[in-house]
Amino acid sequence: MTTADLGTPVDAPPSAAGNRRGLPGAARALGWLVLVVLAYLLPTLLGGSDRIFATVVLIAIFAMMSYGVDIVLSYLGEVSLGHTLFWAAGAYTTALVTVNAGWSPLPALLASVAVTTVLALLLGLATLRTREFVFSLVTYAAAIIGLTVVQNTGALGGSDGIVGVPVFELPAVDGTYVARTNAELWPIALVFLVLVVLLVARFRRSRLGTTALMAQMNGDLATAMGVDVRRTRVLVFVLSAPVTALAGWLYAYQRSYVSPDLLSPTFLLFMLTAVILPGRRLLLGPLVGAALLTSQQQLASLGGDADKIVLGGVLAAALLLSPDGLIGIWRAAVQRVRGNRR
Amino acid sequence: MNVVSQLVNGLALGAGYALLAVGWTVLLSAARLVNFAHGQLYMLGAFVTWFATTRFGLPYLVAIPVALVAVAALAVVLQLLMTRLTLDQNIVSLMLVTLAFGYLLQGGAGLIFGGDPQIIDSPFQRQDLSLGGARFTGQDVVIIVLALVLYAVAFYVLGRTNVGRMVRGVAEDPKLAQLYGIDAGRVYLVVFVFSAVCAALAGAVVAPRSPILTSIGFEEVIITFLVVVLAGIGNLIGGLVVGMGLGLFTAVFGTYFPPAYSTAAAFVLLLVVLVVRPQGLKAR
Repeated sequence: MTTADLGTPVDAPPSAAGNRRGLPGAARALGWLVLVVLAYLLPTLLGGSDRIFATVVLIAIFAMMSYGVDIVLSYLGEVSLGHTLFWAAGAYTTALVTVNAGWSPLPALLASVAVTTVLALLLGLATLRTREFVFSLVTYAAAIIGLTVVQNTGALGGSDGIVGVPVFELPAVDGTYVARTNAELWPIALVFLVLVVLLVARFRRSRLGTTALMAQMNGDLATAMGVDVRRTRVLVFVLSAPVTALAGWLYAYQRSYVSPDLLSPTFLLFMLTAVILPGRRLLLGPLVGAALLTSQQQLASLGGDADKIVLGGVLAAALLLSPDGLIGIWRAAVQRVRGNRR
Repeated sequence: MNVVSQLVNGLALGAGYALLAVGWTVLLSAARLVNFAHGQLYMLGAFVTWFATTRFGLPYLVAIPVALVAVAALAVVLQLLMTRLTLDQNIVSLMLVTLAFGYLLQGGAGLIFGGDPQIIDSPFQRQDLSLGGARFTGQDVVIIVLALVLYAVAFYVLGRTNVGRMVRGVAEDPKLAQLYGIDAGRVYLVVFVFSAVCAALAGAVVAPRSPILTSIGFEEVIITFLVVVLAGIGNLIGGLVVGMGLGLFTAVFGTYFPPAYSTAAAFVLLLVVLVVRPQGLKAR
């Protein structure tokens, strides 16, 4: 394995970890609840324009998309370059079943998750015995070949994609909840974002999550302890794919069309940067990363090519200057301040 | 279409694939490094050649060295930035950093060269030749000859010379090689620049066959991956054989099925090979 290099372990400085653990469970739950309520009110507090609502909805969607990569990159230590395939599969499945067969959102979600899980299982099993970075090469090839196939397949709309994804409607207590605007889509996006964060939090504490981390830190040790490293790798990979597909499902509704650009390197670079920029193995890392990148692209865009330079530059700079991301810089700064005080 | 013309077509295509992959194969076999910006270096090789011929009015054969020097200079900068990661053999970070560089280069090329498709004007592309009913261009001949020469040179230098021994020593264990007085950082630099120049050369000679866009690097690099994984990591001669084989496969596939799916078909082939024989075609 070439994965012993994923920066330092997650350990926060002992004092910070101590403080966090010192909080009683109820207070912590309350803290999270306040955070969610604040997040819900945030776009209104920022003026409530459609642009603001579009930005926060996209942040939620892109954060969910990035959490799929986060599960594989942060905990398994593998670089999947094929998650755009799952992202596109989620969106395209949704577009196909809603436009052609008139399905409603929840069955469309189930279909997206099912299709993506099968895809991930196929890719995971095919790369089961490969070593080192061959996994990355093969997943990358899968995504790009997915792009050429989608562009040339009439049933998937070719290079035009599929237009006319219907408005998001959910059965509610008094009839149906219809999300016509970004403002109406925001509560839905937030609910799913919270669910995804809860899933990742649960995964971090689960046996699978700790096993994955052990396989990453020391594969030989894990094998000696009776862990089936290959099985762990496939399971984590298959678990991560529907998370990204869920984001694709919601994106199809937000944009109301799907097109081959979902498989473009833009989204791939976005996912990786959103995980790496804040620092790997942080529960809210991908959310913070997605928020920073989306805000730049939505509110301070410099044009397509210049945005590419920004995104590529940010990722390269983070890896070259601070492999532990922004949190690494923060911790080093805290340490320095403490050192000066002594 | 007869068998001879399919064969010639396939060999010309395959030599292009092999030429595109030779830099990567050397990088992998000699230094155990990866470069996901390889496709973008290919794209830059093509675009600088185009730029030099159209804007400076240089002849094609003079424009190629200009492109090679430009990409080599860029490669020096990139590798100097990555020296620490390469000495640590930090493959995960190297993959991600080179992927980021590639995206950055694509954005930069878009700003400089614009978003329109361009055509590199090569005199060899206008030479129509035929052999036993098969029609091909002088460009195809150039590509085949260059591919064979480059593989021969790489094979000879890596396997038979002192430079090759140093490079292999560094690949085996950079820290230990340094104890023997080999400057591992410099060896990595030389190998990376050589690999980048190969990519640029492939761009300058293969790209005149079709219109070029700044986004081609992203898709072209896939062929390299297929060749490298199928041949087995760092198998130099295997790279040439698999490259040629993929070319023949694409030519034959393209006569019976929509050519757009040929890479996808090759990929399915790759998945089957990975399940049956994960180490690729390499004997070891």
